[in-house]
Amino acid sequence: MKHTKHLIAALAAFVLAGCGKPAPSPTTEASVPPAEPAAEQATSTSTEPKTLSVFCWSEYIPQSVIDQFSKETGIKVSVENYASNEEMLAKLLAGGGQYDIIQPSEYVVGALIKENLLHPIDHANVPNLTNIKPTFLNMSFDPGNQFSVPFMVGSVGIVVNTDLVKEDIKGFADVFQDKYKQNIVVLDDAREIVSWALAYKGLSVNAVTDENVAAIKPLLAQWLPLVKVYDSDSPKTALLNGDVAIGVVWGGEGAILLNEDKKFKWVIPSEGAHLFVDSLAIPKQSKHPMNAQAFMNFILRPEISKQISDAFPYTNPNMAARALLTPEQLANPASYPTDEEISRMEIFTDIGEQASKVDEIVTSLKVQ
Amino acid sequence: MAGLAAASLGAKDSRTYRRTPGLLAWLVMLPLLAWLVLFIVVPTLMLVVVSFADRDALGRVVYQFSFDNYARAFNWIWLRVLLQSVGYALVTTLICMALGYPAAYFIGRAPVRWRAILLMLVMVPFWTSFLIRTYAWITILSKEGLINGLLVGSGLFAEPVTLLYTPFAVILGLVYNFLPFMILPIYTSVEKLDGAMIEAAYDLGAGPTRAFSQVIIPLTSPGITAGALLVFIPSIAMFAITSLMGGGADPNIGEVIYKQFTAGRNQPFGAALGVLLLLIFVAALWLTQRMREED
Repeated sequence: MKHTKHLIAALAAFVLAGCGKPAPSPTTEASVPPAEPAAEQATSTSTEPKTLSVFCWSEYIPQSVIDQFSKETGIKVSVENYASNEEMLAKLLAGGGQYDIIQPSEYVVGALIKENLLHPIDHANVPNLTNIKPTFLNMSFDPGNQFSVPFMVGSVGIVVNTDLVKEDIKGFADVFQDKYKQNIVVLDDAREIVSWALAYKGLSVNAVTDENVAAIKPLLAQWLPLVKVYDSDSPKTALLNGDVAIGVVWGGEGAILLNEDKKFKWVIPSEGAHLFVDSLAIPKQSKHPMNAQAFMNFILRPEISKQISDAFPYTNPNMAARALLTPEQLANPASYPTDEEISRMEIFTDIGEQASKVDEIVTSLKVQ
Repeated sequence: MAGLAAASLGAKDSRTYRRTPGLLAWLVMLPLLAWLVLFIVVPTLMLVVVSFADRDALGRVVYQFSFDNYARAFNWIWLRVLLQSVGYALVTTLICMALGYPAAYFIGRAPVRWRAILLMLVMVPFWTSFLIRTYAWITILSKEGLINGLLVGSGLFAEPVTLLYTPFAVILGLVYNFLPFMILPIYTSVEKLDGAMIEAAYDLGAGPTRAFSQVIIPLTSPGITAGALLVFIPSIAMFAITSLMGGGADPNIGEVIYKQFTAGRNQPFGAALGVLLLLIFVAALWLTQRMREED
């Protein structure tokens, strides 16, 4: 029977070691006894139980920020992470967790508002909203910010390793050339990839109609065989290791690469780029909306928002927090595009059932 | 007459031995049955039900009967992904067999006091998380990694060699992760192997090749089939390896299904692909079962 035991141990080890993708990390709990009231504290005057369940992107809210919130308010925070908007949407709609705070991107905020799935925000509870730059308030997906407050903003752009690429790269047309075959990393995100081809053709990134998708298919059929790596989680890895020379990546990832080595250059595609606005919102079924609004107000506090920028260098929409950043941080072109550049960027709207078609097109071209 | 009576008595006896389990036996089995029903039967039925449903714009399942998901699944795009995944799994199984059999044989025939240590060495990698081991391979294989550092540094190669994000890296990652699943079952068969049988084969004039192919292989075949199944089935949909070490350029069927449940917002279609994958597993199990019965 001894060998049977070995076998079982092997199987158990395998199952425990996890056999999937980088899974969302398990719920972490930060429980701290209530602190003494002080003048500057975030106050929660409600009678809600002192708990808050946060469902946010992985690598976006530092644990230290969560801990400080718990320490000040005595609210016990549990955090769960996700790796894509749709993963969050699937769990939220399945009613699995009783989340109080979610962190959807703009097009998902729009879709959730349309389905009446968000809890309205009372601006009296979130006075720090005035710290946000007016450009990022009152946006088309949530007029008047009735249901969401901006957390971080960012764009998708091109990173070039100038040691390996001597040519001046200006846009997608320069990236997807035969001479860079097997030397490119792109986000593993069908909607993103399709939006680049739409921008190249001079179409709106949101014009995902059957007709337009058919029109860009031949272009994508040329582009995708040139790609070496598809990675949305950490596209910087392949660039840092020298396995590819060019990448189309998130602004925050680009900013880290630029800080890492001077050989990396950030380019905003001349054809047009996509601006994403990741927000904080409260699901309709939340049982702690007052705690959630206290959390929102806490996140929008300048010194807290600065800590988030220190850890994850996306575009901080909080002007009071930007005033606390170093000139080097503000000079990083991947973190802080100019106002003129931002004005040329489009934001995504929800494409609903077309998401399935977009996925099919990209998958079919990957296996061609 | 006596013989007939004895025969009928014998039949009666065998019936009494094979009587249905009593109440106590059922009670003892209850936790296992509950586990099987809750975590295997119910989820599989849910998967089948959802695979015939539809979904709305946000991806919520709408229970409205349709065959559309299966009609869409029998498209060359998805079948190609499936075939490619099965192909990778087959190559992985064959390499694991070629590497695992000699290793298992060696461990199984080693002196008893060595066996535990050798088996432990097979298990040692499992003490570290699967993801950490895979990320370690990324650092070893990348262009500025360990192997290329040695190759270029020693002057053997002028330019770094592309190792990572290739089919080679995918196979390497799969073989590395699944090799113990081949070694352990073969080891159990080898350990039970009666040395007298091999000696008998030699005494009857068989050479080493003949003794191996006609005595050792058939006697250890239960371990070989068990190992092959343990490697083949999980490696079909092991998309963590294809995306981390293969760069995701050859999509794996597991990844494609995962994307239907997330970005594609089409759980019913993902469920239909899942059911097809399940049928492949059932077919593989059925085939090996039949092969075993023929033996």
